Amino acid sequence: MAVELDGRLEAVVDHGADTRSLFLGLPVPFDFRPGQFISCRLPVGGEILNRPYSIASSPEETRRLEIVLNLVPGGPGSHYLFGLAVGAAVRFTGPWGSFVLDRAPEAETVFIADGTGIAPIRPMLRRGVATATGRPLRLLAGAAARDRVLYRDELDALAREYPAFRWDHVPSAALADEVRRRWVDGDADRSRHFFVCGVGAIVPAIRDVLRHAGYERRAVQYEKW
Amino acid sequence: MAKLRVQFESGEPERVIEFDPARAPFQHDGRPGSILDVLLAHGIHLEHACGGNCACTTCHVVVKKGSERLSESEEAEEDLLDKAPGLTPTSRLGCQAVIEDPDAEIVVWIPRYTINQISGHGG
Repeated sequence: MAVELDGRLEAVVDHGADTRSLFLGLPVPFDFRPGQFISCRLPVGGEILNRPYSIASSPEETRRLEIVLNLVPGGPGSHYLFGLAVGAAVRFTGPWGSFVLDRAPEAETVFIADGTGIAPIRPMLRRGVATATGRPLRLLAGAAARDRVLYRDELDALAREYPAFRWDHVPSAALADEVRRRWVDGDADRSRHFFVCGVGAIVPAIRDVLRHAGYERRAVQYEKW
Repeated sequence: MAKLRVQFESGEPERVIEFDPARAPFQHDGRPGSILDVLLAHGIHLEHACGGNCACTTCHVVVKKGSERLSESEEAEEDLLDKAPGLTPTSRLGCQAVIEDPDAEIVVWIPRYTINQISGHGG
């Protein structure tokens, strides 16, 4: 059995009606790699549900984790977490996952995040700019409008601080077409590295667009929730 | 009835499960009728940190017999297995490998540890 840890809900920040960040205080330092997730063990309906949540905070912050979640209609796990009050305990295991970025690749790096898929991308981006090799770093976010992109103020600040980094957004429904337009039809360069995260079929769809266009398999990393 | 024989690196006694694949799902995590689904429904712990959503490798199992009777692996499973510690030619993710054949006889081996991706942190 994996070792279980107990976090304590220290703060809640709502990003909108159904999207929320939970900040978990930890009794001991917690090591993880940018992009990894924790697996929450949620006591719901007389059993323990395993629910994975990407860590949206950075490894440098070892005593507090941020996770981001959507309230899923009919979803027992997200309803349980949305119902927690500050001070509540949240048991979890981890860190888990191999969708990680330890340092910026020696290539142009493109992050593609649909909705809350930006959660693991955020610490990856921070690590990416901190270890940047001068190659461009790009983020394309899928969101209905610019003011719906999570962490947009932070992204703007990052772009001001690191000229190699730029970000923008397109509606989620246009994400795959935009990826094709920019990084497949746009030029013949196939040296870029991609990190793609989101919920549902959009993620393998983007993976396929890129890999079928000639990008190397291992240069297209993704995590589908 | 399909038969799933489960062996453990930990030395736990072997378990043999007989089940009807047509009655899947047997619980709520992993693909219906997957090795994970069958094991959990029969009280056998198999780590599945991502909830059985094909987003980690903690349900990695080695298929010792009957791999050709399992559903074929898809690209997402192959990509994850690519990063799995202790990968073998017959490795599968328990949450993705589905037993559909009612006459299948499958033997799986459960590695002792599920290892996460931070060195020094055993799971």
